Amino acid sequence: MTTRIFDRETILDLTVNFIPLAIILFFVVGYAVVNPFGWDPLASGLQFALLVVPFALLAVLTYLSGKAISQAEDERPVYLPGQATVSGAEPIEERESEGAIEGDAGGES
Amino acid sequence: MQITGQLALTVLMGIFLVGVAAWLARVENWRSYTPLASGGGGAHGTGHAEKPSGVIRWLTTVDHKDIGILYGFFGIISFVVGGLMVLGMRIELFDPGATLISESFYNSLLTNHGITMLFLFGTPIIAAFSNYFVPLLIDADDMAFPRINAIAFWLLPPGALLIWAGFLPLGDIVPAQTAWTLYTPLAAGVGNGNQANAGVDLLILGLHLTGVSATMGAINFIATIITERAEEVTWANLDIFSWTILTQSGLILFAFPLLGSALVMLLLDRNLGTTFFAVEGGGPMLWQHLFWFFGHPEVYILVLPPMGLVSYILPRFSGRRLFGFKFVVYSTLAIGVLSFGVWAHHMFTTGMDPRLRASFMAVSLAIAIPSAVKTFNWITTMWNGKLELTTPMLFCIGFVANFIVGGVTGVFNASIPVDLILHDTYYVVGHFHYVIMGAIAFALFAGMYYWFPIYTGRMYQRRLGKWHFWLTMIGTNLTFFSMLILGYAGMPRRYATYLPQFSTLHQLTSVGALILAAGTIIWAYNFATSWIEGPKVQDGDPWNLEETGMHTAEWEWFDRKIETAVTDGGEEESVVADGGGERDDA
Ligand code: HEM
Ligand SMILES: [Cu+2]
Repeated sequence: MTTRIFDRETILDLTVNFIPLAIILFFVVGYAVVNPFGWDPLASGLQFALLVVPFALLAVLTYLSGKAISQAEDERPVYLPGQATVSGAEPIEERESEGAIEGDAGGES
Repeated sequence: MQITGQLALTVLMGIFLVGVAAWLARVENWRSYTPLASGGGGAHGTGHAEKPSGVIRWLTTVDHKDIGILYGFFGIISFVVGGLMVLGMRIELFDPGATLISESFYNSLLTNHGITMLFLFGTPIIAAFSNYFVPLLIDADDMAFPRINAIAFWLLPPGALLIWAGFLPLGDIVPAQTAWTLYTPLAAGVGNGNQANAGVDLLILGLHLTGVSATMGAINFIATIITERAEEVTWANLDIFSWTILTQSGLILFAFPLLGSALVMLLLDRNLGTTFFAVEGGGPMLWQHLFWFFGHPEVYILVLPPMGLVSYILPRFSGRRLFGFKFVVYSTLAIGVLSFGVWAHHMFTTGMDPRLRASFMAVSLAIAIPSAVKTFNWITTMWNGKLELTTPMLFCIGFVANFIVGGVTGVFNASIPVDLILHDTYYVVGHFHYVIMGAIAFALFAGMYYWFPIYTGRMYQRRLGKWHFWLTMIGTNLTFFSMLILGYAGMPRRYATYLPQFSTLHQLTSVGALILAAGTIIWAYNFATSWIEGPKVQDGDPWNLEETGMHTAEWEWFDRKIETAVTDGGEEESVVADGGGERDDA
C-alpha cells in the first residue's frame, strides 16, 4: 500500500521538503561533532530538541499531506487547481494527451 | 438623591437597549440569514436571497462576500491611518533634530504605525480576500459558521478604537510608546516614564480583541476548507490560495492564543502587581520568548496568503499553469511548521545560551529553502511564457523582485555573526519592509486589481493602475534600499533624531515615502471613481482566461451572476464589450 501511495512522482514532489529536513539533519550532526560551548544537560538537551522537534513535525506533516494528496489523485479526477467545479473543464490527464496545454515544462502532471 | 439619579439613568439606558433590540428584531428577520444548508441545488453560494437594504444590511450581514467587503474597507481605513502615521515620522526625519514633533510623539507614531499595519491592515485585508473568495473557489455555500464570521469582523472596529485610544482626546490618556513588540519592563509600566498610563492598557486590550477576532476567523476557515468543499474539490484539486489560507489559519490557531495569554499576563503585571515579567519574577526574557513565539509565525501569517495570491494570479498572465504546483503546496506546509521553530532569531543579541542560539540559526536557515523554492517556481512559470503586463501582473512581478531582496536580507539576519552587527539597525527595518510592503502589499494590490471586476462589477482605469504600480515600485525600493544602507552604516532603528552624517540617506528614504504616498493617492482615486462610474464588465471573463484554459471557479460564479443580473434588466450606460480590455494594450 505504502509503495503505491508514494510512487515516484509523489516522492519527487516531496523532495522540496526533504531539503530543509536535510539542512536540519546537517546541523544536528554538526552540533554533535563540533561543540565549542561544552555539554550541559539542560542547554544541550534544549539545543537538540529545538532541531529534532521541528524535524519530526515537518516529517510527519509532509508524510500526511503527501498521502492525502496522492490518495485524492487516485480516487478522483485531477483538474487544474481552481477548475474542479468549472463546467466543461477537463481533467488534467485528458488535456495533456490532447496536448491542449503546451510549453508546460513541469508541474504536477 | 444622587443614587436615585443614577438609578433613573440606568433604567433609561435599559429601556433604550430594549428598544434597540426590539427595533432590530422588527426590521430583521434573522432567520432569513441562515445559509441554505444544502438544498440549494446548484445555487452556488447564493444562499442569501433576502437581504435588508441600506446600513442595516451591512450591520447584520452574515454573507461571506459582504463580510469580505467589510474586512476590505476596514483594512483600507487602517492602511490610510497607518500610512499617515508613518508619513508624520518620515517628514520629521527629513532633518536630524526633533523639529516638527516631539520625540515621545514620534515614539507613539512608531508604535501605532507598526501595530496598525500588522494587526489592523495586514490580517484583516487578507481576511477580505479569503472571506470573499475561498467559499467561491471551493464551491461552498458560505463559510462553515457564518455568524462567527460576522462576530469575528465586528470585534475589529472596537479593537481599533482601543488601540488608537491614546490619540483620542480622552483626558489623561496618552498613546503607547512601547514599539509594536511591547518589550518589558517598559511595557509593564516600570520606571519613571509615562508607560504606566491607561493608554497602554487600552492598546493591549485592543490587541487582545483583534487576536480573538483572528482566531475565530481561523477556526472558521479551517472548518470551511476541510468540510465544505464540493465533492470535486479534493485535496489534489484545492487551489493554491485556499491552501495558503488553510496553512495560515493553522498558524493563527497556534500563535494568536499565545499572544492573548501573554497580553493578559502583561495586563496583570501592569495592574495587579503580578511578576510574570518582572526581574524578580519570570524576567523580561520571558516576554521576549512568548512574544516572538507568536511574532515570528505572525510574519508568515501575513506572507503566506499573499504568496498564495501571487501563485494564483501570476500564471494567468503568463499563459501557462503554475510550475511545480505541488512544490508550492508542500513548501507552504513546511513554512507553516518551521515558522514555530525560529522565534529566537529575534533575540540573538540578548545574551541567551549560545547553544540554543545556534539551533535557532539552523532552523532559520532551513526555513529559507521553502521560500526560495517558491521564488524559483514563480520565475520558472514566467520563463518563456506569454507575459501580459496588466496591472495585477506587474504587481506580481514586483512581488517576486522585492521578495528576493527581503528574503535574502532575512537570511543574512539569520546568521548569528552578521546579526550581532545588524540587529536593531535600519537594516532590519529595510529587511522586513521589503517583505511586508514590497511583497505582501504588492500581492494584495495584485489581488485587488485582478478581482476588481468581481466585487465591483466594473473595471478600473488601466493607466492609473500602471502609475500606481510604478510609483509604488520606485517608492518602495528607494525607501527601503536606503534603509538597508543606513543599517550597514550603523544607524540604529526607532529614533526620532540622528547624527548629521545620515542626513542624505534619511532624506532619500523620506522622498521614497512621499512617492509611495503619491502612488497610494492615485490608487485610492482610481478605485473610488471606478467603483462608482467605471465601465461595467459585461461577461464573466474580463481577462480572457478561457482562451488559455485558465478559467477558474470564481469567474464562472461571476459569469452566472452577470447573466442573472441582465435578465433583471439592471442596466446603465454600459460601455464595455471588451470587458476590461486591459489585455489589449499591455
Ligand atoms: C526568508 C526567510 C526569513 C528569514 C531567514 C528572516 C530572518 C529575520 C531575522 C533573523 C530577523 C531579526 C533581525 C534582528 O532583529 O536583528 C528578522 C526580523 C524581522 N523579519 Fe524576517 N526573515 C525572513 C522572512 C521574513 C518575512 C517573510 C517577514 C514578513 C512577513 C519577515 C518579517 C520580519 C520582521 C517584522 C522583523 C523585525 C521584527 C522586529 O524586530 O520588530 N521576515 N527576520
Ligand atoms: Cu522571525
